[in-house]
Amino acid sequence: MLLEIIKMALESLYANKTRTILSMLGIIIGVSTVIAVFAIGQGAQKAVNDQFQGLSANSIIIMSMRGRGTTASSKLKTEDAQIIIDNTEHVSGATAVIQGNKNIAYGSESNSLAVVGIDEKYFKTSSMELDQGRLFTEDDIKNEEKYVVLGSGAIESLFPDEQIFLGETIKVDGKKMEIIGSIKETGRSMGPTKTDDSIFIPNSTAQKSILGSDGQIMIYALADNVDNIEIATQELTSALREEHKLKSTQEDDFRIMDAGSMISAAQDTASLMSLLLTSIAAITLLVSGIGIMNVMFVTVAERTKEIGIAKAIGGKQGDILTQFLLESVVLSIIAGSIGIIIGNGIIIIVNSTNLSSLITLAPSAKGILIGFGFSVLVGVFFGFYPALKASCLDPVDALRSE
Amino acid sequence: MEKKLAIKLNKVHKSYYLSNGEEIPVLKGIDVEIKIGEFVAIMGESGGGKTTLLNIIGCLHPLTSGEYFLEEENIGEVRDDYTLAYIRNKKMGFVFQQFNLFSRLTALKNIALPALYLGINKEEREKRAMILMQGVGIETRANHKPTELSGGQQQRVSICRALMNDPDIILADEPTGALDSKSGIEIMNIFTNLKNKGKTILMVTHTAEVAKYADRIIYLRDGKVIDNNYKLTSDY
Repeated sequence: MLLEIIKMALESLYANKTRTILSMLGIIIGVSTVIAVFAIGQGAQKAVNDQFQGLSANSIIIMSMRGRGTTASSKLKTEDAQIIIDNTEHVSGATAVIQGNKNIAYGSESNSLAVVGIDEKYFKTSSMELDQGRLFTEDDIKNEEKYVVLGSGAIESLFPDEQIFLGETIKVDGKKMEIIGSIKETGRSMGPTKTDDSIFIPNSTAQKSILGSDGQIMIYALADNVDNIEIATQELTSALREEHKLKSTQEDDFRIMDAGSMISAAQDTASLMSLLLTSIAAITLLVSGIGIMNVMFVTVAERTKEIGIAKAIGGKQGDILTQFLLESVVLSIIAGSIGIIIGNGIIIIVNSTNLSSLITLAPSAKGILIGFGFSVLVGVFFGFYPALKASCLDPVDALRSE
Repeated sequence: MEKKLAIKLNKVHKSYYLSNGEEIPVLKGIDVEIKIGEFVAIMGESGGGKTTLLNIIGCLHPLTSGEYFLEEENIGEVRDDYTLAYIRNKKMGFVFQQFNLFSRLTALKNIALPALYLGINKEEREKRAMILMQGVGIETRANHKPTELSGGQQQRVSICRALMNDPDIILADEPTGALDSKSGIEIMNIFTNLKNKGKTILMVTHTAEVAKYADRIIYLRDGKVIDNNYKLTSDY
């Protein structure tokens, strides 16, 4: 008997195609929008995390003041990394990076790429792995060798067709340099610069002949312990002030950021965005819920009359309610599933367009659960509730409904 | 031997209540006896309570006070859905003026529905539905939906539905009210046939042409039975 009632529910859905489609539409839109919105939120969160991946919480970043509205020319030098190591107690390591964009040419290929001047410790501290060839040695740095290590993206743009690049000579800002190695793809970025699209050269060479004063110098220092960030910061500040021969009345000619506060600032932004998106999702659910409700209520009169007939010919309340409940459940679940497919379809489509360079949508189980759960509940409730009410009426009163 | 009673109403009252609590009495102490196998018409003025009376007998409505004996059992106080559904399903069949068929179901499925509620399997109930359709000459319309049938055909479908679980009592509310006179006569011939097969029939009508098919006419005015054996004044 239950099987027959299920069959009747399905037949009824099929027979009332317009009503069925309209009811489903609200659920489909609700579910797919919520999935898409959550995917955007998840994607943003992931983008933030990726950006700071490889930056441990005890990192301290020292940057030059250039471009910060100060007239004093920056005195931050790559050698300052060694000064910090030598004159502090709570800094376990420091590496200087000098960074800028330069024209890189190989044969007829020419590109503007990020040039990152580093020391031999850099790859290890930022956990980048060698792919081919070799990395820089201490001597390379000391001797200001004209060697280059390439990121995977840089290889693709400079050597689109060829597989062999080790030992080749490329021109960095017109100066010949030899490729000695490459690193594995990281997918990371340092601020606006993508690690994979960068080329790496010894920081000594970069400071002296390639980037010079165009380069942005950053020193990555590591406090020996997360709790010691403050004291390490004080130590390196006084070490640098002394090295830069600043009088006590003069301001610092560098600025210091610790990774912890940078990460928390970025995470604040991400969670604000997440909050915003959650509000949008909530509004979407509300609107689609009202849509579902409207369609269901419009059909109440029709359904009430059907229930009246069913009761008049001997249908028990239980049988009638089972049919209507099944109808609502089947309709809501089918619509919810279509919503999931469309929602994930949107994610796939967005990720396959060039929008994906801005943000990669990441499907989230939470989005699917909330979207599907809420819409299906609303669908079932508003499909079932009028039936429940109608089935409590006297058959005559239900029959009068038109 | 005196025939047993199919239906007996004793001082039945029915009132509606407005939202402000005001009582609108519709039936004011109805006493009615209907014997098994009798074909009775209920006539009377509009608003006299004809349909309300039929709905109470059909268990579509609870009565306000009084006694209602169905086959000598007092069911006036029964309110539980299971029992009432069983009575409507098995004991009586209802025929409406506006047919009240499910528009999305075929004639055959409409007719078979009461048997579904009784838990009879599909094969058996559709077989019986076909026999009923043959009985009123609409078997070729089995797979048509109500919208594809004429009024007379729809009313025959609804009579078949009323007969599906082989009830002893048929209740009809203006069964010819929505039909042309030719179809109306056909429907009344079916009712006469049912009476001859021993069914008890109770029919509300306001036209003498229809009422004349009945064995007896009960006349209602202002919620009271004013004549339990009303005679039509002229021949129709």
